[in-house]
Amino acid sequence: MIAYILRRIVLAIPVMIGILFLTFLLSRLIPGDPCRAMLGEKATQAVCDAFVERTGLNQPIPVQFAYYFGRAVTGDLGESLRFGRPVTDMLMERLPVTVELALLSLLVATFVGMTLGVVAAYWQNSPIDAITMVFANLGVSVPIFVLGLLAAYLFAVAFKDTPFALPPSGRLQPGLIVKTIPEAWGMEDLGGLPRTLLDFLSQMYVVNGILTLNWKVASDAARHLILPVFVLATVPMSIIARMTRSSLLEVMTLDYMRTARAKGLNERHVVFRHAMRNSLLPVVTVVGLSLGGLLSGAVLTETIFGLTGVGRTLFDAITSRDYIVIQGFTLAIAFIYVFVNLLVDLSYAVLDPRIRLS
Amino acid sequence: MTATTASPTLTVKVVQRKHRTLWGDAWIQFRRNRLAVFGLIVLVALILAVAAGPYVYRVDPKHIDIMASGEAPSSTHPFGTDDLGRDLLARNLYGGRISLAVGFAAMLIAMTFGTTVGLLSGFVPRLDNFLMRFTDMMFALPQLPLLLVISSLLQDTLRRSLGQELGAFLLVVTVIGMFGWMPTSRIVRGSVLSIKRKEYVEAAVNVGARDNSIMMRHILPNVFGSIIVAATLEIAAAILTESTLSFLGLGFPSDVPTWGRLLYEGKDFLTTMPWISFFPGLLISLTILAINFMGDGLRDALDPRQRQ
Repeated sequence: MIAYILRRIVLAIPVMIGILFLTFLLSRLIPGDPCRAMLGEKATQAVCDAFVERTGLNQPIPVQFAYYFGRAVTGDLGESLRFGRPVTDMLMERLPVTVELALLSLLVATFVGMTLGVVAAYWQNSPIDAITMVFANLGVSVPIFVLGLLAAYLFAVAFKDTPFALPPSGRLQPGLIVKTIPEAWGMEDLGGLPRTLLDFLSQMYVVNGILTLNWKVASDAARHLILPVFVLATVPMSIIARMTRSSLLEVMTLDYMRTARAKGLNERHVVFRHAMRNSLLPVVTVVGLSLGGLLSGAVLTETIFGLTGVGRTLFDAITSRDYIVIQGFTLAIAFIYVFVNLLVDLSYAVLDPRIRLS
Repeated sequence: MTATTASPTLTVKVVQRKHRTLWGDAWIQFRRNRLAVFGLIVLVALILAVAAGPYVYRVDPKHIDIMASGEAPSSTHPFGTDDLGRDLLARNLYGGRISLAVGFAAMLIAMTFGTTVGLLSGFVPRLDNFLMRFTDMMFALPQLPLLLVISSLLQDTLRRSLGQELGAFLLVVTVIGMFGWMPTSRIVRGSVLSIKRKEYVEAAVNVGARDNSIMMRHILPNVFGSIIVAATLEIAAAILTESTLSFLGLGFPSDVPTWGRLLYEGKDFLTTMPWISFFPGLLISLTILAINFMGDGLRDALDPRQRQ
């Protein structure tokens, strides 16, 4: 197993270097004078010269790449042209929003999707099965943004002034003040890694509200997340439901199921104890694979529902041509994506004895 | 000579078994799948509608009529009008052409590239490792963010040199194709590797067939089934991606009303004119649903192991 893990990690390295190179190339694709494009039209010649010198733009391309590589590896992603803030700081502020959204969506998708899949398989060919599968097919066919607009229209416009109304954008109702966790716990002089971690968690308002016992914040943040989470969860939910159903049905045709029935176990025990366990592996695969899709979907969901996460920030940077932020955020998203895929690969090793022992 | 005895007519009943082909069998199998047939009918209807529609429904999609702005669907404007009074049925029909064309064109690019990479990888062992690692890397990249970044960086240059519509079309089709070929190359490689070991390929090698003819005459036709399934699903994926790009304002310019673009324009009028977004949303969803059903049906029909 250790050989397998090491092999996976080693294989991820060329991909990461490829990503670094690709994001580096992005800055070559910018039309026109790179300095003016990066610093804006009103940059003076002196400022431009300093910029070229500092970023090494007057060096040969391989040397430039080495510079870029060195800075990226040490966590220096430059400063936003629009906000004048370090990109790394922006990332630490917005990443938690996306992580919270994506993880909640994955949780909902896995739980609801597996339940639906088991229900559909248990009552195979019944109306319940048919309805579930029709919805699963719709779920993968209706684009996220159509669903998002539909949900926003239904819950914010059509159901306005009813108990079903839900906020279509933002993270909290105006006027609600959120303290960071260190503030609320009176640990403001905390530093180092624990501080970074707590600040990161503070940006996840639901987590923050629960940890600081501020129920108003927790419940309001959760209310704002209902629509985005369900919209983002729909695609993986549908795929997980279909996968669970077909995997469970396949396992149920195997010989040991007949044996289990023949020795007199009741049907529920047969399905949940004997079949479920062996049908789970393909489902885990799908859950893992959907994590990547969730990151892409987050760009859309955040844009529609006005959540200032990584996706929304990248999109805003693209429309306002904030190239440094584009470069930094693309790099960060790609790295997270590779890292998540690596984790998923490693989890197979733990779950599948065929990989673990080979 | 009057020997005219009626010769007994001999009727031979020739029982001829109807000739069956691979594709005939596949069609019979396909027809049994009701959802797949439904998908095919819907898709053909949609293609006919966008191809012939503008000739039947002769309303200029670009005609601005401020007096008729924001009208709800009615008999004069079946899909209503937008904020500038443009007829939305005409815009949806016209835009559908581009949305569907993007789907097919991007699919062709992805299929050509994917099939080439897959064939080479399966057939030339020296290239296999490199090509598959490259495929893995492309898989490991987050698609949507990169698509957004690349098209935003290139769109100005391309539109300036090739014109608004053509430049945007080529850009969108190329970037979508570039990120869509990986599943095909993996499928083709897998099929090639398994077919390569079949006896009839060995026989062809033994009678002295050259590599080229083995690849083109013996292997490619047998991989064709999987390619068609992958191609079908790729059309749906490409249409989805195009509409996503346009929805974010990064696909086609404002005077090219693809379905995604129409949604983008309608999203600010959700409360006052929901019909602007409703119809393109419905059309995109319906197209993708139909193609997905067809893809599932084709997969079952072209896989002999699934035959009953």
